[in-house]
Amino acid sequence: MTSNLPQPTFQANSPGARLIKRIFRNRSAQIGSIVLLVLVIASYAAPLFTSKDPNKTAPALALKSPSLEYPMGTDGIGRDNFARFLYGGRLSLRVGLVGITVGALIGITLGLISGYFGGWLDSLLSWFTDVLMAFPDILLALAIIAILGPGITNAMLAIGIAFVPSFMRLTRSSVLALREMTYIEAARSLGSSDARILVKHILPNSMRTLLVLITLGLGSSILAGAALNFLGLGAEPPTPEWGAMLNAGMKFVRQAWWLTVFPGVGIFLAVLSINLIGDAVSDAVAGTTVLTHKK
Amino acid sequence: MLNYLIRRIFTSILVLFGVSILVFSVIHLVPGDVTMAILGRQKVNEAKVAELREQLGLNDPLYVQYGRYLGKALRGDLGVSIRNNQSVSKSIADQMPSTFALAISALVLALSIGGILGLIAALNHGTWFDTFVMGLSVSGLSIPTFWMGLLLILFFSVRLGMFPSISNGSSPAQLFLPALTLGLPEAAVAARMVRASMLDVLNKEYIVTARAKGLPQRLVIFKHALRNAMIPVVTFVGLQMAYLLGGATIVETMFARQGIGRLAVQSIFSRDYPMVQGVVLVTAAIYVLINTLTDITYVWLNPKIRLQ
Repeated sequence: MTSNLPQPTFQANSPGARLIKRIFRNRSAQIGSIVLLVLVIASYAAPLFTSKDPNKTAPALALKSPSLEYPMGTDGIGRDNFARFLYGGRLSLRVGLVGITVGALIGITLGLISGYFGGWLDSLLSWFTDVLMAFPDILLALAIIAILGPGITNAMLAIGIAFVPSFMRLTRSSVLALREMTYIEAARSLGSSDARILVKHILPNSMRTLLVLITLGLGSSILAGAALNFLGLGAEPPTPEWGAMLNAGMKFVRQAWWLTVFPGVGIFLAVLSINLIGDAVSDAVAGTTVLTHKK
Repeated sequence: MLNYLIRRIFTSILVLFGVSILVFSVIHLVPGDVTMAILGRQKVNEAKVAELREQLGLNDPLYVQYGRYLGKALRGDLGVSIRNNQSVSKSIADQMPSTFALAISALVLALSIGGILGLIAALNHGTWFDTFVMGLSVSGLSIPTFWMGLLLILFFSVRLGMFPSISNGSSPAQLFLPALTLGLPEAAVAARMVRASMLDVLNKEYIVTARAKGLPQRLVIFKHALRNAMIPVVTFVGLQMAYLLGGATIVETMFARQGIGRLAVQSIFSRDYPMVQGVVLVTAAIYVLINTLTDITYVWLNPKIRLQ
């Protein structure tokens, strides 16, 4: 169906732009985004900051403490810990991003279908969500890895699937509230197809609440990825990754503190910065909808 | 209440039924032939493959396999480990006390540290201490469990030499570091919750009345406010079990402690599918049970909810 109505574009004063402005007026969101930006640049532009190869071993230089030459020391087989820290960030951040994207795509789609069409499909999907939610925390990801086998791609997939239930539940409840709205009824009586109503009307209006879950979920997704890598179920050595680096550094906890401190700082700062942004997002979203909920 | 009770228990049984199907499917969802995954790159021996297929019961139709799996599981028989031929149920029962000791000590630490900080923050709402506790809490939520554990080992065990870094046992000294590792992120959540709940209650009219009639601050807080503020904490304890049971996998692996979490990770590495299935099934069942009990307790404490 074509329409001559002006399409919503991203104008300076659109609701989306106002929301973003609101988010970034928040001090913690500003700090969070700067820290996150620094981490992203440091890892993706790693060659600008170090000329060393993160995988080059030099047993003679093993376990050197931090110095000008090796700002974060060297590891058990003489690799430069600073280079590994920088390059390792790429994978840690990517695992989180891919994980949450997979979870959001599957979860939102299922939630839209479940909430909009209702009936037996809804009952079945809701029961399935309840079943997935019966696996505590990281255990669902572990069960999925047990099936697929260890490896970085499988770890990302496992994290994604573990996020499906929360996205599905939230989307479903938001669709249930929107489904009966007058403008949806209007769209339906104008002859819009179900798919069009879902994508053009219901999804954009659910985005506000979903945005909170997406930002905060990105933090948890990075944490979960690092945890799986720490358990040795993700990246294969010698690939640098913060969680895997911590696992390797654990053996030297008595001799080389730098191997257990720096990769952890990376994970911590990444998750903290995203949580700070997430808090601001949830404040901003709550601030714009609070009128209907206030006592 | 009886109506609610029946409905809630029925839902849990349905969920457990789904969990059992999912756990049963693990072995069938493995890409390719599961026997190949188990036997690995060993020279494929026809007789060995056939024997393993027989042992896992893979030759029967799916519904027969599932029926047998469920029937046995309900009687407490979770099969036999492929790696050491031990009973899965017995291995889990052997490891369980250690995980429970860890989870409960972590919960106690979390509630006491988080509870006290949250309470003081609420009573000093808006001061620097409040801001400090909230900042601490956001950081606590962002620290990966395993990194926290390493830092605690670095500080308490390497620097101060106070506690062992490998601690497999249930004495207070052996439990302290693992429990603190598992409990600190929980304490962060607990602090936020107790603070929010306490602030909410402190603004209620009956507190204003209690103050207006001249009750000393101590009585207002401990007799009136705190009691009511503790109701949401019940739900908290239930919900956090998920985190504690999941986090145990990491903490146990890291401190080389016995427990079902470490058993799960080791079984994934050794592709011991019956053991993985057993641990996942038992953990999920415990979690569902705790959640059901939490919901029932919550409704029992809040008669208002029953009517909705």
